[in-house]
Amino acid sequence: MTYELNVAHLYGDLMNTYGDVGNILALNYYAKQMDVQLNVKIVSLEEDFKAADYDLAFFGGGQDFEQTIVSQDIQTKKAELTKFIESDGPLLAICGGFQLLGHYYIGADGEKLPGIGALDHYTDKQDNHRFIGDIVIKNQETGETYHGFENHQGITFLGKGERPLGNVVSGKGNNGEDGTEGAIYKNVYCSYFHGPILTRNGDIAKHLLVAALKRKYPDADFSQQAALPIPATF
Amino acid sequence: MSFRSGFATFAGKSSYWFLHTFLHGGSSLPGKITLKLDPNILKSLGAKYDVIVITGTNGKTLTTALTVSVLHEKYPTILTNPTGSNMEQGIVTTFLNAKNPKTGRPLAVLEVDEANVIKVTQYIEPKAFVFTNIFRDQMDRYGEIYTTYQKILDGVALAPNATIIANGDSPIFHSKELPNPIQYYGFDNEPDGDFKAKPNTDGVLCPNCEHILHYHSLTYSNQGKYFCPNCGFSRPELTYRLTKLGEQTPTSSEFDVDNHPFKIQVGGTYNIYNALAAYSVGRFMGVDPDLIAKAFDTNEQVFGRQEVINVDGKHVTIILVKNPVGLDQVLHMIGTDTHPFSLVGLLNANYADGIDTSWIWDGDFEQLTNREIPTVITGGERYKDITFRLKVAGIPDENHIVEPDLEKVVDQIKQVSTDHVYVLATYTAMLQLRKILASKGYIKEGLGV
Repeated sequence: MTYELNVAHLYGDLMNTYGDVGNILALNYYAKQMDVQLNVKIVSLEEDFKAADYDLAFFGGGQDFEQTIVSQDIQTKKAELTKFIESDGPLLAICGGFQLLGHYYIGADGEKLPGIGALDHYTDKQDNHRFIGDIVIKNQETGETYHGFENHQGITFLGKGERPLGNVVSGKGNNGEDGTEGAIYKNVYCSYFHGPILTRNGDIAKHLLVAALKRKYPDADFSQQAALPIPATF
Repeated sequence: MSFRSGFATFAGKSSYWFLHTFLHGGSSLPGKITLKLDPNILKSLGAKYDVIVITGTNGKTLTTALTVSVLHEKYPTILTNPTGSNMEQGIVTTFLNAKNPKTGRPLAVLEVDEANVIKVTQYIEPKAFVFTNIFRDQMDRYGEIYTTYQKILDGVALAPNATIIANGDSPIFHSKELPNPIQYYGFDNEPDGDFKAKPNTDGVLCPNCEHILHYHSLTYSNQGKYFCPNCGFSRPELTYRLTKLGEQTPTSSEFDVDNHPFKIQVGGTYNIYNALAAYSVGRFMGVDPDLIAKAFDTNEQVFGRQEVINVDGKHVTIILVKNPVGLDQVLHMIGTDTHPFSLVGLLNANYADGIDTSWIWDGDFEQLTNREIPTVITGGERYKDITFRLKVAGIPDENHIVEPDLEKVVDQIKQVSTDHVYVLATYTAMLQLRKILASKGYIKEGLGV
């Protein structure tokens, strides 16, 4: 392979519900077609995350208990993660990962648990109700339609500098109220789509990989990679 | 029995007779009718029995069947519930169908859905509970592994004297202090090493101090001889130990428990856990190991879920898959086949299958690429999902047939180059396929599991 990207799988041993690991598999699948070798490393409890060591990051969703533990530990990685995000590092965050990049979320027992506030959203909780089911959204800038499956009790409200990943065509989205789903901030993509998101929406995998390549190899030409055809898989 | 219970029982039994005689079915409706008339019916129905409740995510059905055959070696009359009737109504129906015991206290061995344990213990104090395992299942149903376990414990709390017979290799069963007597079973057949579970594994946090658990030995998923390097939390002392693992094939497993040799006519490490659970209940109830070995050896029919169907000379094995841990174990098991084989994956996403297909991404299909598999066929209502899953796993396009229509899948199966064919199917896909096979005369009508 001509190119190489180092991928941090944030808390991959704890935040891994609903097939989220499929996002890593999909990244690998498309990376190979782009002549890119991915080196994936899990960065978990009591381990350092250094912004300079990674070209791409993935942060999945987890069970309540695991997410509580991660909410504490991630505070030690807050500065470096924020640095990575602010320096245009591409990152995909799903569900619990999405919530933990924001200011706070509400845990299973109703307690307010901190995120790292790198993005300006916050997450409240529905009482005894979850949004569960198929969802379709449309990204207004690219015109791309994304298919997924959502399953979340948290309701997230976007803040300053964040645009939605898409507007809800069918399903519930971030909060069931404002028609937004997910978030985009710089090169960070957030979503409630499990399913996993990248296996059904290869375009997002391509955006992430191309962004990471351009950032790491500023002088190379990636027009061929950007033109990689993504077949419909759903 | 009160007049109300008596009348309710009569009404339920009559409806069972009616349904069976005229409609050829009805495993939960009689229970439903009886429960409507007398919500406390289980109390009078169950009072005559010593009850053993078997619960957990995977392996309930087989563990129940094996336990029944083991206990039959010593106890002549055992009541049990048919496959799938593991919720309140099905259990009431099971008791309704029972003939009145003539002498002594008969046993009832019941497979009970995790959330329905409390519906049994509200009325009956079981003699024992068996906990097989708790894995990530269809989380749209019950939520996370911790909430599932809590649901079981809510039921157990009403029966503090019942003995718990639990899978000691599963850390969650050692996470809460309980007043009940507890016996553990587990694997103790390897020298101590120091391992971590695979990254994509559930339930690896120490329940004590929330650090990541290590293992001296691992069987699969998060099961094994676990220990916490931070606080010293570790697997409890085992009462029943698997001491040796012998030959494993897709159709048989040999192993020693407490240094006594056993053989079961089915493959898969998960089935050895089921047998180990049945052995433990047998020992708890005083059945001699030799008799347990005999029960294991002579009860091929309880493994009906893996019957081999002859389709024009092809040996076709249909295996139900429903969650990632079960799927991984099935993939591992068919990998022990010494013959070349073809693979069929059929995915549906109806309620009984789980409406979210994401779990297929947690299954380790990548292990298939260790084997030369001449033909892979993907189909079912969600064929696109399973097709892309296998593409990503590395199945080459030239070996991969995509065929959503199950009738045509059967035709394709007849044409593969191998004699052995494994069909992995979700629940409703399996039912649809069996219906087609029955209409073509390859199997008899019905579920056959």
